[in-house]
Amino acid sequence: MTYHNLLFVLAAVFAVWAVMAKKLLTSAIMLASLSAAVSLIFFDFGAPWAGVFELSVCAGLITVLFIGAVSLIRAEEEKHPENRTRFYALPLAVAIFAIAAWFYLPAFFDELATGRQMAAGGGTIGLALWDLRRPDMLGQVLMLAAGVFVIKSVFPRRTENK
Amino acid sequence: MDKGLLAYLLIPLLSAVIIPFAAKNRPKLADILANVTLLAGLANLAWLALRPSIIRGEFADIPGDGLSLLLVAAIYLVAFCVTFFSAWFLDEHLPNRQAYYSLILVSVAAMCGVVTTTDFFTLYVFIEVLAVTSFALITTDESSGGIEGALKYFFLTFPASALIIVGIAVMMMSLGGLSFESLRIFMAADAPAGTVTFAAALMMLGFLIKAGVAPFHAWTPDAYQGAYAPVSAYLAGIVTKISGVYAIIKLATLLRFFDGRAQAVSEMVMFLGMFSIALGALAALKQTNFKRMLAFSSISQVGYIVLAAGLGTPLAIMGAVFHLLNHATFKTVLFLNSASVEKSAGTTDMDKLGGLEHSMPWTSWTSIVALLSTAGVPPLSGFWSKLLIILALWESGLKTYAVLALLFSIVTLAYFMMMQKKVFFGKKTAAAESSPEVSAPLLAPVVLMSALIVALGLLFPYFYTYVKMVAERIIL
Repeated sequence: MTYHNLLFVLAAVFAVWAVMAKKLLTSAIMLASLSAAVSLIFFDFGAPWAGVFELSVCAGLITVLFIGAVSLIRAEEEKHPENRTRFYALPLAVAIFAIAAWFYLPAFFDELATGRQMAAGGGTIGLALWDLRRPDMLGQVLMLAAGVFVIKSVFPRRTENK
Repeated sequence: MDKGLLAYLLIPLLSAVIIPFAAKNRPKLADILANVTLLAGLANLAWLALRPSIIRGEFADIPGDGLSLLLVAAIYLVAFCVTFFSAWFLDEHLPNRQAYYSLILVSVAAMCGVVTTTDFFTLYVFIEVLAVTSFALITTDESSGGIEGALKYFFLTFPASALIIVGIAVMMMSLGGLSFESLRIFMAADAPAGTVTFAAALMMLGFLIKAGVAPFHAWTPDAYQGAYAPVSAYLAGIVTKISGVYAIIKLATLLRFFDGRAQAVSEMVMFLGMFSIALGALAALKQTNFKRMLAFSSISQVGYIVLAAGLGTPLAIMGAVFHLLNHATFKTVLFLNSASVEKSAGTTDMDKLGGLEHSMPWTSWTSIVALLSTAGVPPLSGFWSKLLIILALWESGLKTYAVLALLFSIVTLAYFMMMQKKVFFGKKTAAAESSPEVSAPLLAPVVLMSALIVALGLLFPYFYTYVKMVAERIIL
């Protein structure tokens, strides 16, 4: 239960961070971290397939696409001034939600935990990742390599253009 | 996943990771590492293919359905020709030379993943890797055309990815699994196939967009024309064929189009194939840019493969597989020749070119071999694959499609003859006056591919037994 609550809090922190971050790159990385936390929650609830797909598509593929897109944005485009006042309301909203969650969510989680026991036959993270979906991991490694090379391919030209 | 072919995926990935470190201060080392990796893979494939048992026509040693091995060979061959050509073609001071080769090797690994996987979700992951690497490769050319091509590629192929993932989700819900085998078993049974067919149709639509089939072809001419010349050859020759066309053939066989289990999808695929043949050929007639004309020709030729895949009979699948391989050879030759013309004459505008056959005889002759093969002139390889497709259509009673496919083959010959006349024959124009033949290393891959076109045509009876084995294994 503690593990689960910790993951839930972590997911919320990453989500808020993604919105509040000043740099697009930080936002993309925080979104990936959020997806990773959510996929661990899926695993915890006995839904390894949902967890693996969340990890593959959102934490892997989408992050690479975001980072690829961010790397294409030129330096001067990043420097447009932005009115960030409205974002400061977000931590307040999160605090109110956290207090409400303190009262209402534990009961909800208990109910979900029953569901987890029912789905106990769904398999573990290890089984899902390394046994059932092993080729996907290879695809993810390729995707990460592709992301790194996209950045390596685009950044030198940005430097040259300057 | 076919473990026997895993090394063909892992070794290019390893090289791709090593290149940026090893070639950090010596950019030429990137050329050597990429070429050696692909050549080693080709040597290994040749050793596999030239075993006495395989020459005797016994294919017990061939892993999986045989199609994977054949396509891995095509991937390595086209990638090797492109990297070898690039080594002499690329600007000495290209700042991202190492990343260029790493991206090509990662895409080779991803394509090997696509052709060896046996699961729809894994297929999707590898196809997305291909989409990311292709996008970056198109932007290698920083001209406005390159960026426009890359953006069009991005905006038009990512909705395709969305369709594929929704299709996968619906299939997971209705079938309970994502392996190719589960779909094959389900389609072989007599259970009502409504939801599963719907899921497959969504995926098929996504793959049709990825293959650049009309009317979803808007990204193809801009991407091919705008991309760096060797990248166009790479994309048109093999990448779009693996990320789209291969998946269409695979899905067509799994859906058992040949026994009418998914009649509506089969008819839709055949219609789009025929539409693509017609639209590509008619649009190619009007083009004045060499590369853009080749792009429309590519749309038309992909139409033949899709038409045959939509029919789905063993003979049609043989024709589709063989035409896919032939397309990889002749389109690579034509695109690399367009790169040579661009390098030598400084333009690919056909109105400004002319009379290049005297100064560029090798480029001219290899173009003739490739264009005759594309048009289906005997005894070149393209003739046999088109013959198989037209025969399969005729046998199945689709005589209108058969006649139209034959007629548009003549249109193909017409636009290619016009291209040859404008670019290579006739009087020398100002641009052609100072256009010497490109160096021998730039000609070598083109001559190799042209020799392969002739050899595949002349030795067709030997090759036929292999393709027949492939068609039997993937259908039965």
